[in-house]
Amino acid sequence: MSAIAEPLLRVPAEPWRQRLLRRLLYGRDANRGAKARARVGLAIMAFAVVYSIIAVRLVMFAVVSDSRTVHRVVSGDAIATARPDILDRNGEVLATDVRVPSLYAEPRRLIDVDEAVELLTADLPDLDATELRERLSSKRGFVWLKRDITPDQQSEIYHQGLPGIGFLNENKRDYPNGAEVSHVLGHVNIDNQGIAGIEKWLDGQGLAALHMAGLATDRLQTPVQLALDLRVQHALRDELIKARAKYSAIAAAGVVLDVRTGEIVSMVSEPDFDPNNPREALDPTRINRLTTGVYEMGSTFKAFTVAMALDSGKVTLKSMFDAHNPMHYGKFDIHDFEPMQRALSVPEIFTYSSNIGAAHIAMAMGIDAHKAFLKKLGQLDRLRTELPESAEPIVPKRWGELNTITIAFGHGLSVAPLQAVMGIAALMNGGILLPPTFLKRSEAEAQSLGKRVIKPETSAMMRYLMRLNVEKGTASKADVPGYYIGGKTGTADKVVFGRYSNTKVLTDFMAVLPADQPRYLLLIMLDEPHATPESHGFKTSGWNAVPTGGAVVARIAPLLGIQPRLDLPPADQQILASMKESR
Amino acid sequence: MILRLLNFVVIGALVLAAAYVYRIKFDSTVQAEHLAKLRSEQRHERDRIAALRAEWGQLDNPARIEALAKRFTQLKPIAPTQFDTLDRLPEHPSDDARAANDDPIGGLIGTPEPLDSVTGTIPASIPDSAPAAVPSIAPDVAVPAVSPDVTPDPAPAADEAVAPDVTENPDQ
Repeated sequence: MSAIAEPLLRVPAEPWRQRLLRRLLYGRDANRGAKARARVGLAIMAFAVVYSIIAVRLVMFAVVSDSRTVHRVVSGDAIATARPDILDRNGEVLATDVRVPSLYAEPRRLIDVDEAVELLTADLPDLDATELRERLSSKRGFVWLKRDITPDQQSEIYHQGLPGIGFLNENKRDYPNGAEVSHVLGHVNIDNQGIAGIEKWLDGQGLAALHMAGLATDRLQTPVQLALDLRVQHALRDELIKARAKYSAIAAAGVVLDVRTGEIVSMVSEPDFDPNNPREALDPTRINRLTTGVYEMGSTFKAFTVAMALDSGKVTLKSMFDAHNPMHYGKFDIHDFEPMQRALSVPEIFTYSSNIGAAHIAMAMGIDAHKAFLKKLGQLDRLRTELPESAEPIVPKRWGELNTITIAFGHGLSVAPLQAVMGIAALMNGGILLPPTFLKRSEAEAQSLGKRVIKPETSAMMRYLMRLNVEKGTASKADVPGYYIGGKTGTADKVVFGRYSNTKVLTDFMAVLPADQPRYLLLIMLDEPHATPESHGFKTSGWNAVPTGGAVVARIAPLLGIQPRLDLPPADQQILASMKESR
Repeated sequence: MILRLLNFVVIGALVLAAAYVYRIKFDSTVQAEHLAKLRSEQRHERDRIAALRAEWGQLDNPARIEALAKRFTQLKPIAPTQFDTLDRLPEHPSDDARAANDDPIGGLIGTPEPLDSVTGTIPASIPDSAPAAVPSIAPDVAVPAVSPDVTPDPAPAADEAVAPDVTENPDQ
């Protein structure tokens, strides 16, 4: 044993210099074995860390690089401005995005500006050469040269091989129906941002934020479906254009509203514009008169007056009001258009459109009740819909007796016509006030939003009066057989330079169809219509707005799925009798 | 010895595993590229569909259709009197009636009433010899041939009721 151990125990002879060095480095009695093991451990640790980092990175590369290829943005269409399609209620496209190439330049990378200007103006003749030169000579990194060029132009410019000139595919909003649907849709600017109408509303719904974040690149956004019916819209617009030409009016407007849901099935304000050419929309004569204009609606407001009286229970259809003489109030005289010189019953006041009678009814109800009723029907507050454009009604600051007298027959209170439509619809549909909407809405949704404003019996009586007015009143020219139309006319003298004009009028016509089971309310409004030979010099509503309304109903009723019923009994049997039965 | 063998086996397994992983990785890259390509194609197609839909919208525009209809057809807006409900249709002729009579619709109507009773479909006087040629509504549209087993007898009567309406203004 000792023979074996001896050589191991013997310390090998070392040169003294090495010994000195080791003693300086490690101390006198260092255990070299333990040290060596510790060092190896340290080395293992270090390598393990390095390799695990490499392994983790490898896994990361494997995972991340895959998803990167998937989300790789296709070069050439970097701009995130996709908008959802807009459809009508039957799924017809009203607005959609089309990809069009746009031309841009990177002036810093251009080699020969003169050559570029020469070649580009040759292909795009409408490009201004001096302006182009100015843009290309600037030291900016990126300039648009022309948005929305044709594919042919693109390929020609591409084949010229100019350095620093490139194309980006951009989304461009396209309105295939042109001016057919203008005010409802609104329009967008060159960067596909909504400027007006539903387009602007869409931006307010979070689309603008998506654009800002650069996320709206894809076309997969769900389309927006409007309540609008393109066919009805066309029919209404066509008839309004005809009417505007026939009566040489400065404007014609119309609305079709579903009285059960508050959906706006059609809205036209002529003159309108082509949303593909947004510059037209700047013309102030092309405003949307139905929401951004406020007007004194004239005799159609008598419907509110009469409804208020009937709903209070103090007045019945048999009540009589004196209309012998013009009504005097201060220095004002209230006249009738066709004076009757006798006491009139409520239906007579409505069908003869007696201003004196309406004023007496309103005065019998009192100022506060009148004001409260109009407030309840939303006629005194700004009406807000999806459209960003809306106008505040012009309400008298101090509401005195004279105001109640004039507002009773539709003067002295200016409302947006759409607002009046909303109010009349509530009188027709059984007494529920529904906020009008441009989006599709079901009847159940509408019911949850609705607010009862008058009794169902009052609504039936109002429909009876509307029908009576068509059977033997001022709206007889709208009686299209088979659709049982009820209606109220209105003719308001326009205010010119602060005075009521004798020559300029605004005529309107509210029609409900069918009057016994109301489905739709139609408003026709003509601004400054003129008399025609057929109208015997008259320019009141009954001679222009009413026949227009009749023509519109004859065209749209089949489209709206209203079944014609011929040989229906007159209003007192059809509406009033059924009302008594249901009681 | 066994240890060394094991070493070789492990090394072999390692090489195989590496090769396998490489293949999976390569495959997945190919797939990812394929996917990206499909996606871009899809995008392209969707853009084209949108462009076509826009074009269709333009072609399907009611104003355009109306102009074309006015120019090339003699169709008129539908009148309220032209609607009726299905439950007011006369009954379908029974098989017996069809077998017994070679004029089933005529047999259904019968001729108990004298012919001077004018209705919407029976004009004031039916000529004894019904016109052989059915006046076609649009001359340049091919009229489908009437199959011989369906008797065309009631057709001229119905057409006569429609015809004046159509021929009123032929220059439209």
